Amino acid sequence: MTTRRVDVLVVGGGMAGVVAALAARAQGASVLLVRRSPGATALAGGAIGVAPDLDALPGDPLIGRRSPLESARRLAARRPGHPYAWLGVGDLEEALGFAGAHLSALVEPADGRPRFLAHVSGGVVECALCLRSQAAGDLRRARGLAVVVGFSGHLGFDAGLVASAVARLTASGGPAAAAVEAAAFTGPGDGALRPVELARALEPPGAAEALGAAIRAVLPRGATVALLAPVLGLDPAARVHARVEAAAGLPVAEVVADPPSVPGLRLDAALLARLEGAGVEVLQGDLGPGGGPGRPVSLGETVIEAGSWVLATGRFVGGGVLRQAGLVEPLLDLPVLASEAGAAGLELAGRPPALLTVRQRVAAQPLLAAGVAVDAACRPLDEAGRPVGERLFAAGALIGGHEHAADQTGLGVAILSGWIAGRGAAARSGGA
Amino acid sequence: VDYDVIVLGGGVNGLGTARDCAMRGLKVLLLERGDLASGASGGSSGLIHGGPRYMLSGPEVTRLACRDSGYIQRLAPHLLFRIPFLVPFTSRRERQSLAERAVAYATEVFFSTYDVYQSLKRGKPSVRLSAEELYRLEPGLRPGLHGAVTFDEWGIDAHRLCVLNALSARDHGAEVRTWTEAREVVREGGRAVGVRWLDRVTGQAGAARGRLVFNATGAWSPALARRQGATVRMRPGKGVHLVMDRRLSDYAVVCNGVDGRMLFVYPHDGESWIATTDDDFYGDPDDAEATADDVAYLLEGAASVFPAVRAARLSRAFWALRTTLYDYGPNEDALSRDHQLIDHAAEGAAGLLSLVGGKLASYRAQSEEVTDRILRDLGRAPVACRTHQVPLPGGEAVADAAALAAAHGVALPVAARVVYRHGARAGEVLRLCDQDPRLRLLVCREEGILAAEVVHCVRHELVRRLVDLRSRLKLSVGACGGLDCARLAAQLTARELGWPPERTRAELDGLLQAGWRERRAVLGGSQLAQEELLRGAHWAVSA
Repeated sequence: MTTRRVDVLVVGGGMAGVVAALAARAQGASVLLVRRSPGATALAGGAIGVAPDLDALPGDPLIGRRSPLESARRLAARRPGHPYAWLGVGDLEEALGFAGAHLSALVEPADGRPRFLAHVSGGVVECALCLRSQAAGDLRRARGLAVVVGFSGHLGFDAGLVASAVARLTASGGPAAAAVEAAAFTGPGDGALRPVELARALEPPGAAEALGAAIRAVLPRGATVALLAPVLGLDPAARVHARVEAAAGLPVAEVVADPPSVPGLRLDAALLARLEGAGVEVLQGDLGPGGGPGRPVSLGETVIEAGSWVLATGRFVGGGVLRQAGLVEPLLDLPVLASEAGAAGLELAGRPPALLTVRQRVAAQPLLAAGVAVDAACRPLDEAGRPVGERLFAAGALIGGHEHAADQTGLGVAILSGWIAGRGAAARSGGA
Repeated sequence: VDYDVIVLGGGVNGLGTARDCAMRGLKVLLLERGDLASGASGGSSGLIHGGPRYMLSGPEVTRLACRDSGYIQRLAPHLLFRIPFLVPFTSRRERQSLAERAVAYATEVFFSTYDVYQSLKRGKPSVRLSAEELYRLEPGLRPGLHGAVTFDEWGIDAHRLCVLNALSARDHGAEVRTWTEAREVVREGGRAVGVRWLDRVTGQAGAARGRLVFNATGAWSPALARRQGATVRMRPGKGVHLVMDRRLSDYAVVCNGVDGRMLFVYPHDGESWIATTDDDFYGDPDDAEATADDVAYLLEGAASVFPAVRAARLSRAFWALRTTLYDYGPNEDALSRDHQLIDHAAEGAAGLLSLVGGKLASYRAQSEEVTDRILRDLGRAPVACRTHQVPLPGGEAVADAAALAAAHGVALPVAARVVYRHGARAGEVLRLCDQDPRLRLLVCREEGILAAEVVHCVRHELVRRLVDLRSRLKLSVGACGGLDCARLAAQLTARELGWPPERTRAELDGLLQAGWRERRAVLGGSQLAQEELLRGAHWAVSA
């Protein structure tokens, strides 16, 4: 048994946990991050949503859309059960700037305006930050003719369906859209490759260049940007995006995909790399029972003692919340609420799933918004609404009140709550 | 007159009758307002069973079902799989009371009586098992059981059984229109002379004239009859099934609900199912759903002999309304499973016939009976029924999955699944891969669905909506909820049917909605994590 003593223990290594660890580290605290496996962040599409403009109507000009920060302010005012309302959005700009700076190798800098990215299913994603490889596909900034490029040897990506997403915003100031097919992935067996395998296949010398040339060969006159399936390499060091762009002779962008998406995996890898660069130790595994701020906890053969804790264990995918008889938080047995209903949510949490969901799939589902409640300092609340402890914090999807996977605020909440929780944990760690 | 007979309802009875009528030379139109098998047929227990339980109330129901089960095995052997049942003795092993011993003895005698019918459906005779033998077969059973009696049944993909009947009917000249609702039965001078219909996909309305109208709309028939001033009396019973994402046992295990009703936990294809509730249902059949009570009741009953179901992953609950014959007084289970053909002539609608009741296993016999009657009413000379002799599409021969896998360069498990679904026509499906290698893309890892099979289905199996692929291929039905397959299948279907992008998105939304309705009552554990993932994957479909 070895004992590790640190100021701050962060449990969970998705976006919220990593931002919390970096924020605590930036305050000078010693930080240990424990993660079980890649979580929901690795499964995300790589676009970082903060808040959609809820007042925008279809057809409204993109140029006049509210900034993500203003949208978050309005969302907080309108939805008192949303984490933005609990935390306040005053620190959001600084938190986004902090996260953006740490991830600048991968993430395009924010400019205060929302970005609109086409999605493989023919929808449009509104986000505050996106990967550099996605930036040229921002429909608010792109001009002229966006050409969606399909691969002649693979049916996984429907260029026509994606072009329809682009075309939906043309009248609002987005680019015109066209779909073409480039000769790519035509080798034996290529048609059966999965997204990660396609991405790997583009990494070797010559592969990205060949794809770029094939794109160049089919571009219609006036093309200003090429939109591709998000399979432009898994390893950033292979520089697949830049190589395709150079060979194609025009800006190239990846669209957003459903999980497991290659950009999400790249984002997850970048987060881990950043932790290492910032001097945060990362351990893999499951924590034993009985721990807490100031109390020892086991991780395999290691005992960890930390002055303060940040729980960033996610929701159902991450394992931060489980539904057994009712909804539970398994690590510290924190009370879980379902929906945005505040106090009433705690009573709801014991109910069966049929009563915590509604028949229309696209409607808000209280069960899927389950999580712990926090105060403005990201401290989890007990049944009476008081902080469970002064040195216990929660961040990310573990915080309830929002459907992080579907309401386009998930990573925004992760970054804001991670930043607040990490700083708070560093300030209160008591120099353990 | 356009048709000899217009069949309303694309369940197993309507389709079986349409097939029989077409094979006997009649001109047939079949209208189904949703997809094939979207009611009680598809929502059944998926068993071609004799119904030993019905021996008590009507041995003829059992005999008929057993005989026809034997026929179905010959018509579509690829769709069937054996499910041996265990009836455990739940009373004490030691110092049994006389009553307990009598129950055990009666159970044994009961199933040896059932053995008389087993030869009709190639079933194995029942066997009395000691406790040791029982636990060797199913170690997961709760302790304290002191033996069991076995009996033998057959499982089937009930959706595909319906689809094959539809394809066969079409091949014999019938016109089968799905997503087309019969809005009104047209009457002239006290006779039904046709229907007015509405195509729910295109919005197109039309009318067809026919000499006879056969109403086989199941739980929807009382309302349809009522609109004609006619009456169909029925006691619809809601039956809910719970589905676990994998096989929990090798054998079906009979158990009792808290109220003493007979339930069973059984392996069905790659899943385990718990069957079933039976509750009187009032109201619109479209509003039926699995409730929290249904889920709790079935889990409690199954856990009473098989505790592991509590920890198992529930992937969905599905439901349907039995079209049980009306009777005032008996509780739901005691109602007869027999069927009845109603002639509405006395109500001013001569030429309108309605079918109530019946069992999946007896659908062919019921259809034969209805067709005999239709020929008589039409004044036609009798023509011999051949539906028990002519195989259903794909049932002509047994295909060799290993040979197909090698010949077409696909994985053996995938080829085996294609054979299971398509029988002798599996080669037709896999040949598409040779023509276009892109169609080797694996759309669903769970069911082993290739892009080629989606394309084949869309081309040849009466697919009009994306959601139709649920019944054809179990696409997006399993625990994954369509994470991999939904969008890919939408893209492939859109290519085949020429859908514009907006239509594709709407169809995708419809497919996802159908799955959500079946999952939402059972979300817990890993399935809840999967749902979170699905919400993330699919929210942009409607954005």
